[in-house]
Amino acid sequence: MSMIMQTQTPKLGLPATIIGLAAGIILTAIGVIFGFIQGLSVQVIILSAIATLAAFTWGWRFVLGQFVSEGPPLAEGEISEARKAWLQFRPAIYGLIIILLAFLALSLTIEGFFNVWNVISLLILLGIIVLTRTLGRQFQENRSAFIGIMVLSGLFSIGAMNIDGFASSINIKSMLLFASFLGIASVGQTLVALLGGLDLSIPFIIGAANVGLLYLIGLGVPPWLAVIIVLVIGILLGVINGFLSYRLQGQALIVTLGTGFAISGGVQILTSIGTAYSGNVFGQVPPWLSNLAAMNGSTFGLPFPPVIAIWAALALILILGMRYTLYGRYLYALGVNRTSAKRVMISELAYWVMMYAISGFFAAMTGSLLLGWSGGGFIGVGDQYLFLTLAAVVVGGTSLLGGQGGYGFTVIGVLVLQVLSSFLIGIGLDFEWQQFIFGLLILPMVALYARSPHIRTQI
Amino acid sequence: MSDVTANIAIGAETKAAEPAHGGRANPFLLVPITLFFLLLGLAVLRSPSLMTSNGIGSAIIVATPLVLATYALMASVIAGRGTVDLSVGPLIGFVNVTLIQLHGAGILENPFAVFGYAIAVGALYQFLFALVVIYVRVQPIIVSLSGYLALSGINLVILPRPGGLAPQWMSEWGLGTTIFSPVLLILVLATIGWLLFTQTAFFTHLRLMGSDERAAYTSGVPIYIVRIGAHLISGCFAGLAAITFTALISSGDPSQGTTYTLIAVTALVLGGASLAGGRGGAFGSFLGAVNLYLITFVLATFNFGAVQSFVTSLAYGTILVASLLLTLLIPFIQRHIRNFSPVLYFVTLSVIALGVILHATNDYQNRAPAEAPASEAVVRLEPIAPQDLYVSPLEVPAVGEEEKALRSFAAPFVLSSLLLVVIAVFVRIAVSQSDRRTIAPAVVVVVSALVLLGAYLMRQSSVEAPAAPAVQEAPL
Repeated sequence: MSMIMQTQTPKLGLPATIIGLAAGIILTAIGVIFGFIQGLSVQVIILSAIATLAAFTWGWRFVLGQFVSEGPPLAEGEISEARKAWLQFRPAIYGLIIILLAFLALSLTIEGFFNVWNVISLLILLGIIVLTRTLGRQFQENRSAFIGIMVLSGLFSIGAMNIDGFASSINIKSMLLFASFLGIASVGQTLVALLGGLDLSIPFIIGAANVGLLYLIGLGVPPWLAVIIVLVIGILLGVINGFLSYRLQGQALIVTLGTGFAISGGVQILTSIGTAYSGNVFGQVPPWLSNLAAMNGSTFGLPFPPVIAIWAALALILILGMRYTLYGRYLYALGVNRTSAKRVMISELAYWVMMYAISGFFAAMTGSLLLGWSGGGFIGVGDQYLFLTLAAVVVGGTSLLGGQGGYGFTVIGVLVLQVLSSFLIGIGLDFEWQQFIFGLLILPMVALYARSPHIRTQI
Repeated sequence: MSDVTANIAIGAETKAAEPAHGGRANPFLLVPITLFFLLLGLAVLRSPSLMTSNGIGSAIIVATPLVLATYALMASVIAGRGTVDLSVGPLIGFVNVTLIQLHGAGILENPFAVFGYAIAVGALYQFLFALVVIYVRVQPIIVSLSGYLALSGINLVILPRPGGLAPQWMSEWGLGTTIFSPVLLILVLATIGWLLFTQTAFFTHLRLMGSDERAAYTSGVPIYIVRIGAHLISGCFAGLAAITFTALISSGDPSQGTTYTLIAVTALVLGGASLAGGRGGAFGSFLGAVNLYLITFVLATFNFGAVQSFVTSLAYGTILVASLLLTLLIPFIQRHIRNFSPVLYFVTLSVIALGVILHATNDYQNRAPAEAPASEAVVRLEPIAPQDLYVSPLEVPAVGEEEKALRSFAAPFVLSSLLLVVIAVFVRIAVSQSDRRTIAPAVVVVVSALVLLGAYLMRQSSVEAPAAPAVQEAPL
């Protein structure tokens, strides 16, 4: 208890306090000026000014307090006070300055940006940072999951405040629907990443399964049989991927890319033999498949598409399975250290091939489900998943080097990406701006937890 | 315990001693060289017009952006940590679209300004990349993924759809009617620049850092500076690639990014570089990129009708995987052939390829009037009858008077080629037997001889070209 008391009343040096107060006052002044320019009522302005100043000062003290070391006093005259403060609080100061500058720039450039809701959003953002830097320390193991959930709830509350209908059941349903496609496609990427590999053939298998399934149905194969055939072919392609890339693990990226090209080309050649429409296939998607993945589908009478339930069940099985079964533990053992895993008789080849097979299976499944969603076959349907699956895995917190992470993390990553993209659509940004912001946000999100240690500590 | 250390010590010694045996031999060049000559032979047999001034000119124009993009990737991949810069394609696209828009606004007119701008933007981006990798310490592939998404998004914002006009002086480069275009000059200068760079101590530091960063750090290599330097060089190449790409399409195109990234990574791996870092060279990267161009070229000469692009994609993937699997054989080859020399291998194969080229360009022209439909088929890209497909590339015509004259005309070439091979083998053996283990003089002799011969042949065929009606530019 006394420890907590001590950390809650940190002692800041004089320069740090002054800088903090100055920054807070400047921020508040900016807020007040903008408030008057926009003609808000005086009460709102005063309220938001007090809130801004209080939250900022509190955040400043609390964040910076975490960096104050309680060690013995340094030798005098070594470093000046200001320099020491700068050295100690550098990362936090950088982060706060960047956020404040971005807020200021947006307020200045966009008309009507500076309103109460956006100030609250800013405070939520600052709160996330403060919380991740303080409470996040308690979660040594699952830090990325904690940060992910923080970001997720922050984003969701900001979205719900700023956008009409963001928290409506229809929007949540559609977000979950798209998240489940991405989530099912990322199963394989997560498992393969746990072994230290990459699977770039996923989007091509998705496209191939999408076109191939419709082609088989168009040929007159019973739909259930066609789905099974497609899934089995997906597994086979995954097995081929696994065997080809096993000896070339460093180049798995490029091997799977090559097989992906070949699969996509091959399937298109197969489906265009004997038809006049090259690359276009036609067929009637069975109603049960549409129901499985379409927005207006229902699960045992409940008004949400079954694919969401499938994804939830899948996530549960995978998370529990990887935590409690022998297979799951062996997977982590291999990812962390190949040599020692081999010493306890874990077959690396078997696991490597198995993970790629699972990846192929789930890619084929995503392709089939996407056919049910769209109702028409299109080879490029999986293209956006090329980097999105990777981004979901990385944002979730699974290390691409292997051995760290899990599917639970990827679920959080998928949800973060989906809510973010829904939010960006909601505030009226086009696809290209969304992509731009996605790119800019992945880096800081990963940097919050996945920084590698300095080289001098690795020797 | 001491046994283990002794073993390690012995292993290290043999490892250190090994390179001395084969000079600077790099067995990983085996696959790209073989593939290059296979594809070159096939391309020339399928479409002899490749070996005209027009054909080579347009090949250079099309292949140069790819080669330079591969160089850009190579410089950062050597730096290690798995720095596969996925954002190289969008970066090229970014320079391209901003260049077009700035030119459209009347700001960038001067060639020097354009070059300075492209190189500066490329270098600046890569500088930021390096700073993030060094100080934020996130895995480089995540940084590049981030850059990929951000840049391809902003490209579409800057230029929503392909369009715009390149500067007048630049769009003339893209015609590809002559071999000695400024694009070739850029390519040659960039290659020479890289080769000069490989002679510096900085490059040695770079390779050391790429193969083992901790060892580099402990032996006092300033790894931050080396990493920043590698990225700056990569950025310069990316800027040059963007300029040649702009010259190729003479306009702006925001969506070429994905293609260029994937193709450049593929070309780099085909050229024998290691994505893990520490290994890679200009020669291999060049061959890898040219191989990819040749694959597309050869496939374009076949007519698959509506499924053309699918066949291209299939063949592309298959060749990529197959050539990667072939690199697995290299340890075996290394075990059995101690003194493998890529240069010698290259010279031998190039002599064979020269024969094939002579066969394709000369014999086909003589036969062309008699078999007009066959030669037209190549030009118009109509379906080729199966018997032609399988027979005609290797068919040898009956010997006539003209043939005999041609043969006596060709005899000096054959003799000089044989002589070349003999000289090369001789020089190679002499070098490997001597104390000084450098093959550089031999390389200079052989390559200059090849260049002279090539120039002579080119002149001959360009003199003959107007006389032969069959030589037309095949639409690609």
